[in-house]
Amino acid sequence: MIQAKELSIFRPGIIPMLIMIQLIVLFPLWFELPIWISGVTIAILSLKYLSYKSDINLPYWLIIIFVILAFSGVFFYFKTISGRDAGVALICLMYCFKLVESKSYRDAALVLFLSFFIMVMAFLFNQSIIMGFYLLVTVTSILSGLIALNSVNGFDALKNLGRISVNAVFQAMPIMIILFFVFPRLPGPLWGWDDNRAGTGISDSMSPGSVSSLINNDEPAFRVKFNGNAPSADQMYWRGLTMSNFDGFIWRATNQAFQKTDNIPPSTLLYDYRINLEPNYQKWLFGLEHLGNPDSSIILYEDFTWAKLQKNSKPFSYKGVAVDYNYNGYKLTDYARNNYTRLPSSGNILTKQWAKDVYQKGSGTEEFIRRVLNHINIQDYYYTRTPEVLLDNVVDGFWLKAREGFCEHYAGAFVFIMRAAGVPARVVAGYQGGEYNPYGDYYLVKQSDAHAWAEVWIDDKGWVRVDPTSAIHPSRVETNLLEQTNRRESWFGNKRIAFDLPESFLTKMRMRWDAIKSFWDDTLMGYGQEQQNDWLSKLGIKSNQWRYLGYGLVAVLLFSGLIFGLWLLRHSRSKDPIEIAYLSLKSKLIKQGVEIQANWGPQSLLKHLQQNHPELSKKYATAIKSYMLLRYKSESATDEWLKRFQRQVKKL
Amino acid sequence: MYFFKRIKQKFFNWVDSRLSAKSEIELRQRNIYILPTRYGWLLLAIIILILIASTNYQNNMGFMAGFILLAVGVLSTFYTYRNLRHLNLKLLKPESVFAGEHAEFTIEINNKTEQYRASVGFGQNKKQLQLIDIDKQNQSQFSVKFKVPKRGLFEIPRMVCSSIFPFGIFQVWSWFRAPYKVLVYPKPLQPPVALFHSEIGDEEGAQSQKGSEDFYSVKEYQTGEPIKQVIWKAYARDRGLLIKEFEDKVGEQKLFTWSSVAHYEKELALSYLCYELVNAEKKGIDFGLQMPSEILELSQGKKHLHACLEVLAKF
Repeated sequence: MIQAKELSIFRPGIIPMLIMIQLIVLFPLWFELPIWISGVTIAILSLKYLSYKSDINLPYWLIIIFVILAFSGVFFYFKTISGRDAGVALICLMYCFKLVESKSYRDAALVLFLSFFIMVMAFLFNQSIIMGFYLLVTVTSILSGLIALNSVNGFDALKNLGRISVNAVFQAMPIMIILFFVFPRLPGPLWGWDDNRAGTGISDSMSPGSVSSLINNDEPAFRVKFNGNAPSADQMYWRGLTMSNFDGFIWRATNQAFQKTDNIPPSTLLYDYRINLEPNYQKWLFGLEHLGNPDSSIILYEDFTWAKLQKNSKPFSYKGVAVDYNYNGYKLTDYARNNYTRLPSSGNILTKQWAKDVYQKGSGTEEFIRRVLNHINIQDYYYTRTPEVLLDNVVDGFWLKAREGFCEHYAGAFVFIMRAAGVPARVVAGYQGGEYNPYGDYYLVKQSDAHAWAEVWIDDKGWVRVDPTSAIHPSRVETNLLEQTNRRESWFGNKRIAFDLPESFLTKMRMRWDAIKSFWDDTLMGYGQEQQNDWLSKLGIKSNQWRYLGYGLVAVLLFSGLIFGLWLLRHSRSKDPIEIAYLSLKSKLIKQGVEIQANWGPQSLLKHLQQNHPELSKKYATAIKSYMLLRYKSESATDEWLKRFQRQVKKL
Repeated sequence: MYFFKRIKQKFFNWVDSRLSAKSEIELRQRNIYILPTRYGWLLLAIIILILIASTNYQNNMGFMAGFILLAVGVLSTFYTYRNLRHLNLKLLKPESVFAGEHAEFTIEINNKTEQYRASVGFGQNKKQLQLIDIDKQNQSQFSVKFKVPKRGLFEIPRMVCSSIFPFGIFQVWSWFRAPYKVLVYPKPLQPPVALFHSEIGDEEGAQSQKGSEDFYSVKEYQTGEPIKQVIWKAYARDRGLLIKEFEDKVGEQKLFTWSSVAHYEKELALSYLCYELVNAEKKGIDFGLQMPSEILELSQGKKHLHACLEVLAKF
């Protein structure tokens, strides 16, 4: 028994437990914070442990000095104390100091409840499936901490009461899942928020080496689920953005105008799909060519590329359509023609001349394209990741001398040649291919699938895709690159065997894991207002969605409360075998017509029987007497007696 | 502040009027109350903060964390309630005590269920509780002592049985009140002078009124025995000095009267009487009490003492 206003935190085990919980909560943040801050948090907690072990209380002024040092450290490191990173660092440090100065139940409870918030801070940096598991671990351990804190037996109580926290988490999960889907979601940030992280994947400029640097990056870029037919993987050209501005070295994307609806040629639908894009901190979106008129949340630009207004900082899911445009009768405006044939006036003169010569040999644009591709195929052009580095007249150097490069070299040079001959052309950056995952029925496009190709304007045909890289003769492709492009089926001249189902066990495992990850990333982490409206619309709720969500929410809380209430309380009903047998004895008597008052003990029952039902009392007396022995004489409360009593009751 | 006090007073009057005065109470839905603790409100604030931040950063893991905490919070109403539900409180009748002593009030807590009850608190208010664990199919006891300064009937204050286990975010409690009052005897004080020697033997008249010859036997007078018990009538008939003796061989008997102490201040007088009565019972002699309101005949034993003291306590 403890006579106290509040339970003390100086009971054995409580403080080490709090330290342990803080370590668990801080663990994911150590990978995100500057290393010295992670180190300081560990040092503070170790200090607390030492002072606990040696029973020394740190003087208050010392703690204050530490706090001031930590504050100034953060300020000098980040040059600010606001902002996300500095804020998180500061909160983590304060969180540790709070434990150092903890003296009472109040402090410990505060530390534990704050732990929930610190735990969520880690999710700002990482929302992977591993963190999903870690969430459960952390919540369970914090709840265990609360149990120990609120129990008379302190830390020891966890031995027999610790499972309450595990049960609580598992019982809370179904409610959490329903709330997750039903809770009304808002679009976008509530207040301005700049995520300054650098973009990943392809960028809005292309210089030699910019695409090939992605070749070893096995991170997923996006996953695609087709609604119906899918093209073969070698025909999957995922357009990201076009680049039409060349300064002699770098191709750059230019600011595009929004596409006007009346400028869109008539189209026929080819493919219908949904893309789940990984966060890439860029604005542009990818789509299968040619990109049709998209969802309302997506902007269609004049060059038929897609983008959204904010940077894509979380998994984003959108619908896409691939269409075939009919450009019959469409002409390029003078402005656009001028724009797509512009080249720097100086430099690369030899290639310009070469282009003009070849153009004059043939008749028309299509003939010209064929001749150039044929040139690549026949001449000794090599496909390699480690080409000769050129600093000056890069196109001349590549096209006429080095003749080795990666897709960005080929795409850039090809567009250069087209423009030199007066043919409108542009570079397209995006991804090529996709790996089919049979377990999740989707195509996975990785960063290593990044690619650059060209588009050429042909009158009445519109923008036609030309991939000069695929014209390289397979014998001149680096071996490891051949393997890399294994799944691109008939790339490099139909020499590759069609890729069927994954064969090796490891590949299967990898695909299964990717299917689980894709469910996590796309369905769960990518869930938002759009998806919510989507399933509501499918249920036929198209207006007043908020109201219905509100009803749903209330219904969930009430219903789950009811279900869980009944289920939980069922446990506490009496299961005492003695009592159960005695109750059945009483109900048998009631059936015989005996009136039993609720407050009667066995003694009064027996007396009543003897006086009013002598014939019954003979029959029942032994059993009632056994009950009294079992109940009121502890030495007779053995299993043997219990069994005897149960037999007696049964016989009645 | 006065206003709040009035409201509080009114509230507790209402609570008291609802409390049953049974000696055995089963805690159940009807008499268990529940409210969030301040940490419950803190958790709610943290959940709201988490949900706002998650909306802002479009962070679905944050939503998951917020919702799992919300669900745990909702469920913990049941966990906490379950900790008290179906506990049986048996309020034991407290012993009578003398003024200035401590009255002990004991509650027997029976847990006839299969569930371990952790950190169940008992006390006079929700803030100062004594915590105990009760194992399944087991019982435990809780005693509380009250200092009783005044004689009379001491009313045991309203008690509370409460729990915040397991997570400390909800508090369930139940108020209950003992159906008993503690009888508080006057504080025994030794009278400054021997008050009652003169009273001995006064009862002869009373004996003869009864006319019961079985009441005593007769034996020869021995020196040292009280002269008042000599049967003078027999002496007059020349039968020698005989004295009457009670069957239980008690030689002394005392009848304590109010009139003998009436000149003292009332409480003091009662304390003196109390002292004498206790002393008399200790000596094992017969004693009686004569008060203006009632008369308790000569007798002995604890029960009789209690009856006498009760008269004093309630006087």
